[in-house]
Amino acid sequence: MTAAAVSGAVAAGIVGNSFVRAAAAGDAVGGVVPSLVVSPATEEEVAAVLAWASRDGLAVAACGGGTKMAWGAPPRRCDVVLSTLRLAGVVEHEPGDLVCVVRAGTPLADVQALVGVHGQRLALDPPHGVAATIGGIVATGAWGPLRTHYGTARDLVLGCRFVLADGTVGHSGGKVVKNVAGYDVAKLLIGSLGTLAVITEVSLRLHPVARASRTVVCGPLPPADVAAACRAVVAAPVVPVAMVALLPEGTVLVQVEGTEAGVAAQVEVLGSVAPLSRVLSDAEATAAWEHARVLAWGGDDASDAADAVASVAVPRAHLDALITVLGTEATRAVVLPSLGIAAAQGDHIVALRTWAASLGGHAVLHRAPPDLASLAWPAVADPAVTLMRAVKQSLDPAATLSPGRHLGGI
Amino acid sequence: MLRRLGGALDRDALLTAPADVRPYECDGLTGYRAVPAAVLLPRSTEQVAACVRICHDAGVAYVARGAGTGLSGGALPVAGGVVICLARMTRVLSVDVDNARVVVQPGVTNAAVTEAVAIHGLYYAPDPSSQVVCTIGGNVAENSGGAHCLKHGFTTHHVVAATLVTALGEVASLGSAVADTPGYDLLGVVVGSEGTLGIVTEVTLRVLRRPRLVGMLLAAFDGVEAAATAVSRIIAAGVLPAAVEMMDRLTREASEQAVHAGYPDCEALLLVEVDGIEAECLAQLGECREICEAAGAVEIRVAETAEERALMWRGRRAAFAAMGRVSPGYYVQDGVVPRTRLPEVLHGIAELSASYGLRVGNVFHAGDGNLHPLVCYDPAAAGEAERALELAGRILDVCLAAGGSITGEHGVGRDKACAMPKMFSGAALTVMDRVRSAFDPSGLCNPGKLLPTPRLCGEVPGFHRVHPVEAAGLAERW
Repeated sequence: MTAAAVSGAVAAGIVGNSFVRAAAAGDAVGGVVPSLVVSPATEEEVAAVLAWASRDGLAVAACGGGTKMAWGAPPRRCDVVLSTLRLAGVVEHEPGDLVCVVRAGTPLADVQALVGVHGQRLALDPPHGVAATIGGIVATGAWGPLRTHYGTARDLVLGCRFVLADGTVGHSGGKVVKNVAGYDVAKLLIGSLGTLAVITEVSLRLHPVARASRTVVCGPLPPADVAAACRAVVAAPVVPVAMVALLPEGTVLVQVEGTEAGVAAQVEVLGSVAPLSRVLSDAEATAAWEHARVLAWGGDDASDAADAVASVAVPRAHLDALITVLGTEATRAVVLPSLGIAAAQGDHIVALRTWAASLGGHAVLHRAPPDLASLAWPAVADPAVTLMRAVKQSLDPAATLSPGRHLGGI
Repeated sequence: MLRRLGGALDRDALLTAPADVRPYECDGLTGYRAVPAAVLLPRSTEQVAACVRICHDAGVAYVARGAGTGLSGGALPVAGGVVICLARMTRVLSVDVDNARVVVQPGVTNAAVTEAVAIHGLYYAPDPSSQVVCTIGGNVAENSGGAHCLKHGFTTHHVVAATLVTALGEVASLGSAVADTPGYDLLGVVVGSEGTLGIVTEVTLRVLRRPRLVGMLLAAFDGVEAAATAVSRIIAAGVLPAAVEMMDRLTREASEQAVHAGYPDCEALLLVEVDGIEAECLAQLGECREICEAAGAVEIRVAETAEERALMWRGRRAAFAAMGRVSPGYYVQDGVVPRTRLPEVLHGIAELSASYGLRVGNVFHAGDGNLHPLVCYDPAAAGEAERALELAGRILDVCLAAGGSITGEHGVGRDKACAMPKMFSGAALTVMDRVRSAFDPSGLCNPGKLLPTPRLCGEVPGFHRVHPVEAAGLAERW
């Protein structure tokens, strides 16, 4: 079916005329321009839209803030973009439980503002944090420097509601921090790029904003000294909530949080183990971390989208090699030294895949210029991928949801 | 089929004599029993895979089992089926200190993982109270927790890779020792799947550096509500203790009789442990103390030595077993509620206890709202066991009404499969069933667990409810 043949009449019957529009070039998913953008306001409407698309053999891609629609491989087909932006708002926030339940289309910034009033935050600082929505962040598994201590969506999602391609509304987990009832289906959806279901609501674990927080910068250091400085910090009696090495500039940023006494003690330790270190003012620290996010993933400026962005992971014992290789193969990179992970940009980063694999690691090209987009995922064929295909087949048998965008053309 | 199984295994690894298979008829939940036709004791991934292929070809159901300490009947055999017991796969395969990774076979006990890395100043964080005997394979199946998962997370946060023998007898590698394995997070759904998605035969675990300092205090309160309030305030204040445990009068008295931890006489006892770097620990401990005082603690003791700390823990760890001293029988319930709802839920449990005329002890992981009500009964008294079970079920209703869960760490297993529709819609259960069929199309891998079926539960209201979209004629079910 050609994109032009898709009529918006049925969709308009579900969501109303005002919330169906013809797609434009800016609505492209991995370079594929759909014909319609449909914006349901409720989970029931999402279910109805998906059921209609499945029945009519249309391919659908879910979209939140639209900041990562270039992630993954280009979909084989895309007729309808399902915007979640009207599925917005916080459903529930009980400050005493440090849990909030939000609709998928809620921008991260809105969540932070709301829970921030109560001295709390969602400990996620992915790229494009202003426009990115919770649903998009979960679906892409996007992360930032706070991953060092707080992990990713995988560690903070307590439950979710979602709609399968056939309109079946599922849910898993709940709004308590400990829960083993049923399959943890949310784990499958995190990082699935919308290929298994459309996420409609997410239940999240929050953290209190620490009373004290300091960022120490060390460097700039010569490239050869960066890894040693990182290792010294990792071995020291400090617990950074965020720690990154910035390349090619050769600086290391370390953030510690906690009580005033605890933070003061950690800053003192950092001063003694990290070379050329200095404590940043609050304003400097905010700017430094924003710089680190942009350096890793690119900013909101469209011109940044020209560069390929990859994440690379190797055993952390190979940190020196990781920093050396990124120093030459990437134009800019942010390394999380304690985890052996990096986000990197540059034209040559696809070449890092073979190198990472030789160390037991991997590289995924999250965003790529058109000529590289087909190389987003590594080529793999093993029983695990067979299982992944079986999961896709079982949840989305007609391949309605972003077909081809995930690993192995799933 | 038995001959083929025997051929796939070591000489002494196929048990079929009634006296040999009888010990496998139940797990830690002894109320459910079923005798398997055979028990297999494989030693390698290849042997497990061969056995699964044979079962698959013959259409015979199989159940994987570790130490059998589970409390939800997750390892309950299928009558006439096969038990694949992984107790002989007990090797620690590798220890990678630089990357803080340990690779073990599934029969290695939880405690043995820490033993294997302790010399390097490392430890394995999840610590279910059965950790000396329970196996990592079972921990993976149940996504086990423990007292210290409040700060350090559950099994799912510490398993980075696993070898899975699929229901078709293939060997799949899920996750990897390195972060961000490309593709769907299959490992994330296999952990906690209660042995229904395949059999895990090798596990790579993340181990942590021992904290620099561990501090602990106990606080005595004259009511469980006051203690629960203190817990909520500690968490809300931004302190994340390593563990927060609570015991009420009944469980504390039982524990005192058993191990003489020297706990103060009170209605509710709170144990708070903090860990980390020195300055942070001391500041947090001071803050916990102030919060407990403000919440009305009548006595607070801070452990001055590692021995005092160990004694505080000994009383807590002994509490379940000690209940045998004050009641001839008891049922361990496992439910979760949001922390802020603890006071009203505990009150609700007390009311149920009074109306049933059965004592209920509470000893639990207060920090994450994970309750373990111990429902006491006399097995010799006619009908009392049934009433105890009914009371335990009503407690779950109270947890759910407060926005909680029917299980925090013991799992659904056979025990709570029919309670799943209380927590999940019929459509949500069909989605889980579709996930299950993707892994196990023949339905032979630990059937009758985790999800309700009409055969187990009768006609379950809601399970096959028509979706509104179907009703509206917009979609047909696939």
